[in-house]
Amino acid sequence: MRTFAGKAEMNVGGIAVLAAARDIQVPLLAVLLLGGCVAKLRRAIHARSMAPQTGPTALFPVRLHRPVAIVVYVSELALALGLLATAGRFGAGMPATVIRLLTVVLFGTAMGALHELRNRRPDAGCGCFGDLSDTPVGWRTMTRSALLGAAAVASVGAPPLQKPDSAGQALVVLGLGAGELCVLAVLSPELGEIMVRLGYSEPCEVRRLPIARSLAALRASQPWRQYRDSLVTREPEDVWREGCWRFAVFPGMVAARPVEVVFAIYLKPRHPVVRVGVYDAGGGTGQALPAIPQQRRPAPLSAPVPVTLPLSTQL
Amino acid sequence: MRRKAKFRHGCDDLQESATPGRFTRRSLLRDTVFGRPDTASQDLWDRHPPGRTSVIGRVLDVSPHIIVLRTEGSERRLTLSPRTVAWRGTVVPSATLRTGEVVIVRHAPGKDIAERIWAQIGRVTGTIIEAVGRELLVDEGPTRRGRQIVRIEAGSFRQILVRFPRLEAGYLIDVIGLRQQGYLLAYAPATAQPPYRADHSPSAPLLSGHLPASASGTAVWHEPGEEPPDLLGLAYPALDPETGCEHGDAELDASSEPYVVDPHAAGPGCVRLPYLSVGSAVEVRNLCSDRSAVLPVTSCGAAARLFCDRCVECGTSPRGRIADLTMTAFVELGGNLEDGCFNASLAMTGL
Repeated sequence: MRTFAGKAEMNVGGIAVLAAARDIQVPLLAVLLLGGCVAKLRRAIHARSMAPQTGPTALFPVRLHRPVAIVVYVSELALALGLLATAGRFGAGMPATVIRLLTVVLFGTAMGALHELRNRRPDAGCGCFGDLSDTPVGWRTMTRSALLGAAAVASVGAPPLQKPDSAGQALVVLGLGAGELCVLAVLSPELGEIMVRLGYSEPCEVRRLPIARSLAALRASQPWRQYRDSLVTREPEDVWREGCWRFAVFPGMVAARPVEVVFAIYLKPRHPVVRVGVYDAGGGTGQALPAIPQQRRPAPLSAPVPVTLPLSTQL
Repeated sequence: MRRKAKFRHGCDDLQESATPGRFTRRSLLRDTVFGRPDTASQDLWDRHPPGRTSVIGRVLDVSPHIIVLRTEGSERRLTLSPRTVAWRGTVVPSATLRTGEVVIVRHAPGKDIAERIWAQIGRVTGTIIEAVGRELLVDEGPTRRGRQIVRIEAGSFRQILVRFPRLEAGYLIDVIGLRQQGYLLAYAPATAQPPYRADHSPSAPLLSGHLPASASGTAVWHEPGEEPPDLLGLAYPALDPETGCEHGDAELDASSEPYVVDPHAAGPGCVRLPYLSVGSAVEVRNLCSDRSAVLPVTSCGAAARLFCDRCVECGTSPRGRIADLTMTAFVELGGNLEDGCFNASLAMTGL
């Protein structure tokens, strides 16, 4: 008798957990669909085009890429909003069932499309989350799609969402949601891409920095203050860039000789290193002046060392 | 189509600058800062360095054993041997070259024996603006020669169609052929057509920290245009947007037409290269012939960013064009012009 009661209690608890698991599928699917829409929109705005670079649209002729992408986007957005709108008491019944069945159809179609994409374009990503989904479709993406399809099936017939009756039930719901998200994260190649982007620091070699900013940094530097009075003009006669360094050349006069003062400004937004050299433009020799005693070999670009050069050492 | 071909953009680079001297001095001035002045930076711009193995000129006379060329201000005699390979649309006997044709010759180092001769060779790389049958109007971009007319040779049409299935406005094309008066007669595809439209080139992978010391990819070539024909240099795909190659919005608006793609607005391309300027020096190595040279950046090669292709001359190169060499530099590094590319690596020098 005690055994029977215990089993019955366990069954009741198991059913409650299963019910809670079913309940969370609707908001989870809606959030994932909305996340996909936001990522796709971001990509479209960035690329100024709705036609994606990757994803199942690659299976269609080029002229259909844009319309197919728009249909997919609108479908996902409509279903995400529909799932949210019919998750509660409002829209319960037939509207909720129709929306959830359409979600099942969407994920079923997606699974088929991904399978086809994997066979025909093994280099293409699924495009599920815009340009984050650039990794070629593999078993993880396929499994995730199957899991979401199963979640959509489970959501059909689920009752309207309501507040948990107790703190314990709320914890169960939160735990189940977190667990499912973890499983989805493991199955998502996009997570690696997100981690790369979060930790991304643009290499200085490709960093875009306005000339005005480099010149402003130059004019606040110690080498500029040392050579300022020797310059004929305050505007550079030539400015160019090589990798992490921007160079600015100013005509100058040092010890009654025409020279060219060359500043190299490291391309860093704040407090950049500034180096300086003086080229003997006069005298008709066209030769560089003797090497500067204090100047050391340039440090690796990753660890620039500031160098100050007294004018007296130049000539 | 001819009327439309006259449309041309402008850009600041070596051939259009009123003061190219300031570009040639940049390496010297840079060396002044970094404390190792030498003469190498001045030699960088020497158009006739010792050990040069190529000649470009117009044919004055040709016989089965000798070819005489008029080069800039002089004549040059080269011996033709049975091993000499001549190209004019296809491989032809050397003696069939004609007086008046522009040819580029690669000869043996230190000897005047011609190894390969290319006659009237030309190349058009850009976005198709209009296509009527076998005649195309191609936009090479604001930094090159603007609009070019391409006529595909009838016998080569099928071959080109295999590599360029979309001869439609908005798609990229890159063909090699014979330079004729006002147009290029295309004989061969220089690459395979990218599957994307010209304004949808893929983006480069993200890199943290610093760029690698050298980049690998494809090196291609371009016709001299207004550059000196024997210039040794390269059009670099990633010139500093603040000082060189980029355009203001007003200029873009003025030239905005359907299918015209401004390569500068197309992003960095599929390979990340450090920003440089006209006058910077880079070391280019032909991985197929193992020849290398330090060359100056002589113009803007932003159009190369539109192509994410590979070169398969010796193995398969990584995606992306890293250098658009002058015709002479390409030949000097051991490349065969009719192939269109070689697998290459590129490294910054001097810093």
